[in-house]
Amino acid sequence: MTVLQEPVQAAIWQALNHYAYRDAVFLAERLYAEVHSEEALFLLATCYYRSGKAYKAYRLLKGHSCTTPQCKYLLAKCCVDLSKLAEGEQILSGGVLNKQKSHDDIVTEFGDSACFTLSLLGHVYCKTDRLAKGSECYQKSLSLNPFLWSPFESLCEIGEKPDPDQTFKLTSLQNFSSCLPNTCTTLVSNHNISHRQPETVLMETPQDTIELNRINLESSNAKYSSLNTDSSMSYIDSAVISPDAVPLGSGTAILSKQAQNKPKTGRSLLGGPAALSPLTPSFGILPLETPSPGDGSYLQNYTNSTSVIDVPSTGAPSKKAVTRISQAGTKSVFSQSGNSREVTPILVAQTQSSGPQTSTTPQVLSPTIAAPPNSLPRRSSRLFTSDSSTTKENSKKLKMKFPPKIANRKTKSKTNKGGITQPNINDSLEITKLDSSIISEGKISTVAPQIQAFTLQKAAAEGLMSLLRDMGKGYLALCSYNCKEAINILSHLPSHHYNTGWVLCQIGRAYFELAEYMQAERIFSEVRRIENYRVEGMEIYSTTLWHLQKDVALSVLSKDLTDMDKNSPEAWCAAGNCFSLQREHDIAIKFFQRAIQVDPNYAYAYTLLGHEFVLTEELDKALACFRNAIRVNPRHYNAWYGLGMIYYKQEKFSLAEMHFQKALDINPQSSVLLCHIGVVQHALKKSEKALDTLNKAINIDPKNPLCKFHRASVLFANEKYKSALQELEELKQIVPKESLVYFLIGKVYKKLGQTHLALMNFSWAMDLDPKGANNQIKEAIDKRYLPDDEEPITQEEQISECYPYESVGTDESQESSMTDADDTQLHAVESDEF
Amino acid sequence: MTTPNKTPPGADPKQLERTGTVREIGSQAVWSLSSCKPGFGVDQLRDDNLETYWQSDGSQPHLVNIQFRRKTTVKTLCIYADYKSDESYTPSKISVRVGNNFHNLQEVRQLELVEPSGWIHVPLTDTHKKPIRTFMIQIAVLANHQNGRDTHMRQIKVYTPVEESSIGKFPRCTTIDFMMYRSIR
Repeated sequence: MTVLQEPVQAAIWQALNHYAYRDAVFLAERLYAEVHSEEALFLLATCYYRSGKAYKAYRLLKGHSCTTPQCKYLLAKCCVDLSKLAEGEQILSGGVLNKQKSHDDIVTEFGDSACFTLSLLGHVYCKTDRLAKGSECYQKSLSLNPFLWSPFESLCEIGEKPDPDQTFKLTSLQNFSSCLPNTCTTLVSNHNISHRQPETVLMETPQDTIELNRINLESSNAKYSSLNTDSSMSYIDSAVISPDAVPLGSGTAILSKQAQNKPKTGRSLLGGPAALSPLTPSFGILPLETPSPGDGSYLQNYTNSTSVIDVPSTGAPSKKAVTRISQAGTKSVFSQSGNSREVTPILVAQTQSSGPQTSTTPQVLSPTIAAPPNSLPRRSSRLFTSDSSTTKENSKKLKMKFPPKIANRKTKSKTNKGGITQPNINDSLEITKLDSSIISEGKISTVAPQIQAFTLQKAAAEGLMSLLRDMGKGYLALCSYNCKEAINILSHLPSHHYNTGWVLCQIGRAYFELAEYMQAERIFSEVRRIENYRVEGMEIYSTTLWHLQKDVALSVLSKDLTDMDKNSPEAWCAAGNCFSLQREHDIAIKFFQRAIQVDPNYAYAYTLLGHEFVLTEELDKALACFRNAIRVNPRHYNAWYGLGMIYYKQEKFSLAEMHFQKALDINPQSSVLLCHIGVVQHALKKSEKALDTLNKAINIDPKNPLCKFHRASVLFANEKYKSALQELEELKQIVPKESLVYFLIGKVYKKLGQTHLALMNFSWAMDLDPKGANNQIKEAIDKRYLPDDEEPITQEEQISECYPYESVGTDESQESSMTDADDTQLHAVESDEF
Repeated sequence: MTTPNKTPPGADPKQLERTGTVREIGSQAVWSLSSCKPGFGVDQLRDDNLETYWQSDGSQPHLVNIQFRRKTTVKTLCIYADYKSDESYTPSKISVRVGNNFHNLQEVRQLELVEPSGWIHVPLTDTHKKPIRTFMIQIAVLANHQNGRDTHMRQIKVYTPVEESSIGKFPRCTTIDFMMYRSIR
């Protein structure tokens, strides 16, 4: 039965690896119709999921029993994608009402995919308001696989403070290897590792292949596994096994056979790219192997395979093979791309050389450590098709490199992209490596290169870990709103990492939270320059431009984003911000609602919509929006701020203060928030506290002019005119063109009785008000009624009387567009004066 | 006080909107008319299109009633009237009344128009020269040019002042430096 499946499965995987989803789906459907096994089911569901039709995969898997962990994982993933969180949880852990499995149960059940399962489960818990459980799941997931970034990110976002140093480290090799694709463990554990005849090996192939297939499928997410505790070597993906690595155990034999055939298969049967997927070759190899024992008429095509199988001598010392693998691998690695973590740490796991050792472990070339699943293809291609183009492609892709820790690597990197070549190891390997092709005749059987390769791999992983630690620290600081520290940490990343979209976006966001909008704008425009396809983080950029009132830039940004990706909430948020800046609030509301439609779990869209409703005075709707934002993300301090603002407008000052305080708890370094709290406290008549708060705000951010302004106004309200004036004079120096400053100065002088200076300042304020829109100033001068002032109108009258021509003049110049109806009114006013 | 000259047209209210000092709130109100010809009703009065108009179909005075859900501050009323296109349908005497409901409306403005040719801005202020706060506005067309019976009105907009200052009872800021720190978005 499995014999029937293998070529089909190989073809399907090949199609999948080439993103030819129509082909893959079609073949998978035929396979499933032929063989109703769970494997085939999983394969079909995978084809559906990868082609973007999660609902198809969901319905398919639901309709049939899924007992294998991979089917369950895929079904749970589909459920989560379709927002069926309860169902997803049920599948993964037994549901809310039933007895739930513990994390250890999950680990044993899912094996290698446990880290992803736990991460998914954590996501479900967090979305259903069980943050404690969610964070537990994330922690466990991270402990199983420190290469995962998203659980760490999620932990930071829900407010936990995971320690990057503890999280991102290779604690023991056990862990280390468990993160790597686990291809041989099952096999090895099952089989007695002993030297066997290739014949037997071949005979066993069919049965083992099934197992191997399943293992390959399970480990398709590129994890490494350590084989043996005593060997303390890591294993390489079976697909990458060197041709000559005749394993000592049957499992290893199979693997080696696969590997043997792989290059041939890779090249002859499936072509270069086919070797991209670690799974493809393994599938592709099997048909080659199976005909040799005997049957398989349909495998006539693969006749050349037989020769392949014969080539590796059965008794070939695996050591040799391994050596060659490492050398071959390293040859391609070092000589060609030479850098990139993926390339260099081609680890050759090898216990010892040939036969007598029963505890030998199969030799597998390990793909680069910490390579994401999709890098697997590249890895193997590099190994087996010493195609410079592919390696270059790989190296180009690999931005991750060894951290500065490995100094000699960096300094001596010859190749581009901050190559990380260890010259010593290189040299030694190059000396020891064979020039011959990957096929047979390896002679060097030194353990040293392998061990060196292993240390290389370990060092590469360490490098990644160190990078992740730094980035983790930076991200954690940002999520706790220690923005200055975050900027500091992230700026110290190596420059090739610094100049990437993700890092720059985080830094831009940090500046945004510090209200340093100019800096943020600079950084974000850099992001747009280097990664113009990036939408995450662009909503912050659009808000930055909104604050800076750069309407042209904002309009360009929103057009570009909406053209590029109409399904991203960030694009619609940018569009809404653009129209909001143009004061077309109805259109802005429409776009924010669109953003919400596109992604109902995007908190910022709700917040922005709430702000628009506030601007259109629809406070009830605004309240609902802010509350929705908080429902989606309780740590979204902007929404708490929004609620506070609404209550302030409704003059519910204590509620306002409470909400502002909540926002402040989340983001303690925001001077704008402190400023608002100060004003609210003043409104609540707690002027002393208000002054304290404002002082604190000024200390945190001395560049915030509004804090000083409000401090001055509080002092003015408390009749401390001198200090108020002093404050305002300072402010005048900082922001000389702000009419509000002169307005307040004018009021202070008026209170002090210096009407001359008062009027002068009022006039200046009027002048600075370009659109003549400031009613209060006009009122202060000529309407003879100052809103904040309880004094009788007589003073204003006097002022107006003294300068009647002036007030009339200003009136006329500003109200020129009025009809004579207004002139009538004006004349009437004037007549009243006299 | 009517001048013998023609009523000069006012600025496009859109410009007013762009200053950010006022906001059009006609959408927050319920509009009703004393009478209208089919196809020439409230929609045509509120469609932002100067080509379409409301045509009344009853006896004078013709009324436009604007009722708000809550007491609203109204700063300016903008009416578009064009003598050249409407001739005898052009209103010549308009009375603006405000109040809580139909029964306690009080006139606050009376306008005389002489061959208007564009937008007419009608600021509505109370005795203290502040924008009025009201539940209802009624615009009554008391007389038309050339003693026409029915009237055409092409567009009416209602503006409320925008309180831009997000915090504190201060007028709006004018510089970006201040506006940047004004709120968290």
